This record gives sequence, C-alpha cells and structure tokens, in this order.
Amino acid sequence: MMRAAIASLLKRHKRQQLALDVEDELQFHLQMLEQKYVQQGMSAAQAKSAALRRFGDIERYKRQCLHISRRSSSVLRRSLKVLLLLIGLAGLSIRILNIDYKISRVGVMLIAVAICGRLLLYVRGLPPRNPECS
Amino acid sequence: MANQRTDLLQGTLELLILNTLARGSMHGYGIVQQIHEVAEDLLKVEDGSLYPALYRMEERGWIKSEWGVSENNRRAKFYKLTRAGQKQLEAERANWNRISKAVTKILQAT
Repeated sequence: MMRAAIASLLKRHKRQQLALDVEDELQFHLQMLEQKYVQQGMSAAQAKSAALRRFGDIERYKRQCLHISRRSSSVLRRSLKVLLLLIGLAGLSIRILNIDYKISRVGVMLIAVAICGRLLLYVRGLPPRNPECS
Repeated sequence: MANQRTDLLQGTLELLILNTLARGSMHGYGIVQQIHEVAEDLLKVEDGSLYPALYRMEERGWIKSEWGVSENNRRAKFYKLTRAGQKQLEAERANWNRISKAVTKILQAT
C-alpha cells in the first residue's frame, strides 16, 4: 500500500516534470522570437503576436510533445521491467541447474517459454515505427 | 514573397533537422533559424511543428537531448545527433536524391 502510494506520487511528479520541461522549451523559443522581432523594431505587443503567429498552435504542439515523451518514458519503464525479469530468470535457472540436471531441463524450457512470452508482449506494446499523433 | 513560400513535403522536416544537427549541438530555436536562413525563408514551416518532430526523433534514437544554457544565459534544451541519427541522415539523403532525380527526369520527359 505504501509502495503503491510512493509509486503514484513519483509518477505524478514525473508527469508534472515532463509538462514543465515541454512548457519551458516552447516558451524559450517564443521568447527568442519576440526578442528578435523587438530588435527588428517592433513594439513588445507586436513582437509577441508575430512570435505566436510564426510558432503556430502552441497548445497543440505542447500536447503532441507531451504525448510522445510520456509514451517514450513508458516504453523505457517496460524495457527495464523486461530486463529485471530476465535477470531474475537467469538467477533462477542457475539455481535449478545446481540442484538437478533433470529438473534443470524442465526449468530451462519453462524459462524459455516465459522469456518468449514476455518478449512477445513487450514487442506488441512498442509504439509503431512511424507514429502519428495529434 | 510570402505567397511564394512552399509547403514542406511530409517527412522532409526530419531530413532538414538531421542535416542541421550534423553541424553540431543546437536548441530548437537555433535549428529553425538555421533552416530558415539556409532556405532563405522560401519554405513555409510553422516553428512549433519542429518540436513534435524532435521528440519523435529522440524516441527513435536518432538524436539525444540535454538541458544547458543558451547564448543569452537561459535554460534551453540542446539536441545532438546520435550514431543512429548519422546513419539515418545518410539513408534519408540518398532517398531524397533518388526521389528528386526521378521527379526531374519525369518533368524533363514531358
């Protein structure tokens, strides 16, 4: 229960951090554009509206960036889980091999089936090669 | 001049980004400025459209990013090409040359 609460807090923090990073990055771009337009002789208000026009629909781009970065971080989490599972299974197989050769053959087969199944699930969960998001 | 600007073909933005980053690490604003400068503002690209493309390219492992400090001392995210990105750039350049050669041939034939 405690673990779940901590995990949920960490997840929320991570999501907030991703959103802040995207916001920061896009705002930096807008400010650089505004600065350029002011240097070209525009008033602050004109520069701001020209920058927004040139940038396009900021909310849409923000949503797209967030969607992609959340998807990437969940793929990374899944990869880590698979890696941990494989390490665990490797450890288990070493222990079985030490106990008995006959049991070890059954064990190795079970592990192979588990690895294949997990890899299949992992590959099916990967994002498409040419993802489109909006 | 404004109505002589051309829409970017789908998928071309990634080639332009990869090519720009081949010069070295840059933030998003720097990449767009470089593209507009080299293309002499002939291409119609909304600056914001660069960012989803950058995030997708990072997800595919073609580029990687890190936060740093910009030329005006602001926190900015810098992108650079990875080895996979370098290979992708070569493949996309070759593809682009093939397409442009084919289209030119067709146009000359008619």
